[in-house]
Amino acid sequence: MNKKILSNVLFYIAVVLIALVVLFPFLWMLSSSFKTQVDIISWPPKLFFEPTLANYRKVFEEQDFLKYFINSTIVGGFAVALSLLLGLPAAYSIARFAQKKLAVFILLARLMPGISFLMPWYIIFSRLDLMDSYVALVLSHMLIALPIVVWIMSSYFEAIPRELEESAMVDGATRQHAFLAIILPLSGPGIITATTLSFIFSWNNFMFSQVLSMEKTKTLPIAVYNFLSYAEVDWGGVMAAAVAIMAPAIALTMIFQKYVVKGLTMGAVKG
Amino acid sequence: MRKILVTSVAVLSSLCISGGAMAQAKSGEIRVLLANHPYGELIKQSIPQFEKQSGIKVNVESLQESQLTQKLTTEFATKSSTVDVFMTRPLQEGKMFAKNGWYAPLTAYDFADYPKNIMGAASFGGKPYIVPLVTEWQVLYYRKDLLQQAGIKVPTNFTELEAAAQKLNSEAVAGIASRGKGAAAVTQLSSYVYNYGGQYLDKGTAVFDSKAAVDALRFYGKLLGTYGPKGVTSMSWENIMPLFQAGKVAMWTDASVFLGQIIDPSKTQVPVENFGIANFPAGPKTNAPFIVSSWGMSVAQQSKKKDLAMKFLDWATSKEMAIKGMVGNITMARSSVWSDEVVLSKINPGLIETRTFAAKNGTPVDRPYMSAVGEARDLIGELIIESINTKGTSANLEKMAKDKVNQVNGLLKDTGEYGK
Repeated sequence: MNKKILSNVLFYIAVVLIALVVLFPFLWMLSSSFKTQVDIISWPPKLFFEPTLANYRKVFEEQDFLKYFINSTIVGGFAVALSLLLGLPAAYSIARFAQKKLAVFILLARLMPGISFLMPWYIIFSRLDLMDSYVALVLSHMLIALPIVVWIMSSYFEAIPRELEESAMVDGATRQHAFLAIILPLSGPGIITATTLSFIFSWNNFMFSQVLSMEKTKTLPIAVYNFLSYAEVDWGGVMAAAVAIMAPAIALTMIFQKYVVKGLTMGAVKG
Repeated sequence: MRKILVTSVAVLSSLCISGGAMAQAKSGEIRVLLANHPYGELIKQSIPQFEKQSGIKVNVESLQESQLTQKLTTEFATKSSTVDVFMTRPLQEGKMFAKNGWYAPLTAYDFADYPKNIMGAASFGGKPYIVPLVTEWQVLYYRKDLLQQAGIKVPTNFTELEAAAQKLNSEAVAGIASRGKGAAAVTQLSSYVYNYGGQYLDKGTAVFDSKAAVDALRFYGKLLGTYGPKGVTSMSWENIMPLFQAGKVAMWTDASVFLGQIIDPSKTQVPVENFGIANFPAGPKTNAPFIVSSWGMSVAQQSKKKDLAMKFLDWATSKEMAIKGMVGNITMARSSVWSDEVVLSKINPGLIETRTFAAKNGTPVDRPYMSAVGEARDLIGELIIESINTKGTSANLEKMAKDKVNQVNGLLKDTGEYGK
């Protein structure tokens, strides 16, 4: 009995230690976002300080981060929606017809360094007068979202017994109908996983927006740089902006984490 | 399914059309790229006035400096740029931009109000391409109270500087700080090199393996390695300024541009009257600290609206705007604004004094001035780190310097700048 208590205590100490290490930068960022510039640089760091909302005021009033929030949401939302539209049937086809080579090819697109796409994209989009347009950004962010959707969903579909759709098809349904009426409704958790993950990856993407967007379509990760000036860094502003950007991503993960973990391991142990 | 498909195609194509229409520039419009810089901010705030008096619509973007360089490079290199006017860093990207023909020549502009030595870095092949906006120069920042307690005068030469650093150095306060982070430190080391009688480049050839330059490297390494803050080899100004503002550093050699933030009471933990600014100390050979034009403004050669762009350039670099900048503690490049009555009554006297000295005696470059600046800075940066880590005693330093000189010469040859 005593042994059990001891091991429990040790277990929780370990959990707290690991959590501290992982969460420390985040907590530092969070506390700094409520500090003045003097308090941020003070040494030793101040644990107790007079909190200020000035940094958040800068983020949302002076810098108009709401606009960048909307931009990031539009880009991420459309990129994920279109990726689901194309990716779900693709994943189904890969799962049912064992198109392994196709799957690897899609993965390759994801593994190629993003920067190698940028030059051609830049030339094409500027010839088409699509610079600083949502279209260019949505299309580029589909490169991030589509492979995630295809890979998560194809292993998810493989785990769904073929017999389900086969019996539907025996009753006269077409394959398309079986996919829509039987497979998709069963894939809720997988779709949630794919959506969450690909949205977060698009939300965090820096490189594509950096080159393809200008003032009108600037997304959040680029806007953080508004706080870095020549020979001056507004640490409070950077921290507040970082917190504001992370909040939706964290909220999404918390809400859907059950599905995300399940979806990621789905199909991992199939025979 | 089909319905979803049709709707999304419709939505996407309508996005396409609206995006396309937006991107098409109208005739009375120009596109201006500014840096996140106090003067860029000032221009941005004043643009509505310019639009009103000129009737030209200005589409302006502000970017952090490395993003700005990357964006300009991508746009110009793919020959599909719509940029008309942009802010640029003459010493960092000037050579490369000029060689690629990205700057439009500014032969009609009146440069009489700009210091001659600074125009050297804004002209290529005898023609001016950049209007200098801002200058900065090397100074010594120090803590008046600490120097007084220790009973020492403000150092005026390297011997006094080292003695002061030794005396002021303690467990809690570093005697002296300067950038130690490789490539970032190259500009700050430059004044030390000049004052020892050395140079980075001479007539298109790398010469920082000379005895003078290596002596300067050793002195810099000894100072920072012995009396510098812990971990100085990973520090640039972003790291040193907070330490100085928190009272952890007694003296700091860096560019004049930081004075405003140091004496801003909302950013520092030390009473601001304790901070002082002085001329960079003299070396064994001379005293010629750098004074450079860190930012300038140019018209893009690819611009299809050069007349409108020139109008904007004239306005943004006008004396009136420069005076506004000076009043906001931005050290402008125009000479005449430094004798303007309004300005003199408002600006910090330490800035006027150190600028007068540097404008007269200074060296107009602070880095190896070549196309491949970045690579060359990395190479020299390795020498700086080696010297600091060994407190200036490294037996390898001469050999390493020779090796790096060969590599920098190689870079110069690659771009056809060697010996020119």
